[in-house]
Amino acid sequence: MTLMQTLTEKAKNLAVRSPWIYRINAGSCNGCDVECATTALIPRYDVERLGCQYCGSPRHADIVLITGPLTARIKEDVLRVFAEIPDPKVTVAVGVCPISGGIFRESYAVNAEVDHYLPVDINVPGCPPRPQAIIEGVAQAIALWRQRI
Amino acid sequence: MLDTTTIPLAVLLFPGGLFALAFGLALKGLDRRVAARLQGRVGPPLAQPFFDLVKLARKRTMVPDIAAEPVFLGAPLIGAVSMLLCAALVPIPGVYAPNPMLGDLLVLLYLLAVPAVVLMIAGSASGSPFGAIGFSREMALMLAYEGPLVLVVAAVALRVGSFSLTDIVAYQQTHGAFLFDPVLWPALAAFLAFYPANLGIVPFDIPEAETEVLEGPLLEYSGPALGLFKVMSALKAVVVLGLGVALFLPLAPDGLAGLAVHLAKLVVLMILGVTLLRVSMGRMRIDQAFAFFLKWPLALSLLSLAIVALA
Ligand code: SF4
Repeated sequence: MTLMQTLTEKAKNLAVRSPWIYRINAGSCNGCDVECATTALIPRYDVERLGCQYCGSPRHADIVLITGPLTARIKEDVLRVFAEIPDPKVTVAVGVCPISGGIFRESYAVNAEVDHYLPVDINVPGCPPRPQAIIEGVAQAIALWRQRI
Repeated sequence: MLDTTTIPLAVLLFPGGLFALAFGLALKGLDRRVAARLQGRVGPPLAQPFFDLVKLARKRTMVPDIAAEPVFLGAPLIGAVSMLLCAALVPIPGVYAPNPMLGDLLVLLYLLAVPAVVLMIAGSASGSPFGAIGFSREMALMLAYEGPLVLVVAAVALRVGSFSLTDIVAYQQTHGAFLFDPVLWPALAAFLAFYPANLGIVPFDIPEAETEVLEGPLLEYSGPALGLFKVMSALKAVVVLGLGVALFLPLAPDGLAGLAVHLAKLVVLMILGVTLLRVSMGRMRIDQAFAFFLKWPLALSLLSLAIVALA
């Protein structure tokens, strides 16, 4: 039993070094997406050194970055894609939109806050947040993910 | 020389199995690290593919509703096992000669086609439209590069007069490596074009193109099943590069030094033929890749076969 536990701990320690990131755009203005895609993950910041890898398929994902206020138009699709992501996973809401709706908060077309619909673990506020903040959010997500995997 | 009667050992431990897997993962890690450095990034640690594998083993495998489940889950298993057998078929000059019981170059050729076939099956069994696109692209690409490979192998075998890789290695150890044999240079050039395509890296990663068809056949895979595909591709790197070394430059001392020389050759082939190529080129379209393979490698390998036959 104890051997099993130490082995599991070892495997966990190795596994958390490979968090794959998937982005869901829940109707964002694209500001946050630009920050995620080009700034936080370009050579200058290089999260690949943390073992992160961008994946094109929700089935490969471990950490989900959600941007945008969950517009009415896209809500069903976002929920469906989210359900396709295999457990264990961690959800990071990027930008102020998923938190409160941000500049769209009084609109009839948005469903913010996102955590009414999805289990958001970490919020990264900002409109859009700085790359450093996104990286910190990802790092916190990795710590949380370690407990789940 | 190892005792060649120990087939299970050869398949499971060395030079196939665990050894090939560990080395294949290291090659992939090296490739990612060097590529990152060339792009001015820090890059992941060398053991990153190994971490990925452990992670995938701990995730859940999801099967899409519309997938044909037995085929969907069986495909990666068949692919990984075929590559496991393959790895035991490739000689390491001066260290390991495959048992003739296990098979010769022809068996290797057939097994080498399995990963592509498995990817096609996986893509179509997943029921995803992206998988279907991956399927058709994989098939077109395979048709394009498989022909030149067979002709290259035929040219080398004709030169030696045997389809046994052990004989091919022995012949070159007495007569000099084919790398320096002008008669086989066209075949060499064709092989150099073939192996990046077979390993599915950037100019030729059309079936799995991440930004176009979202990794095509692999799109619907998750957890351990995806891990098996990673195992398959790590083993395939060792097999294909090892085949190249055996066909063209198998000169090496005996014993441990021979093993070190062999591994060093694979690393050089990986960095020059895979890493440098993939960071310096963009992806081809499937029709461009198809035309390229039918134009150059096929012509070169045919030329080589003709010269060898006449010489
Ligand atoms: S938080 Fe700001 S930048 Fe981000 S999606 Fe909302 S409005 Fe755009």
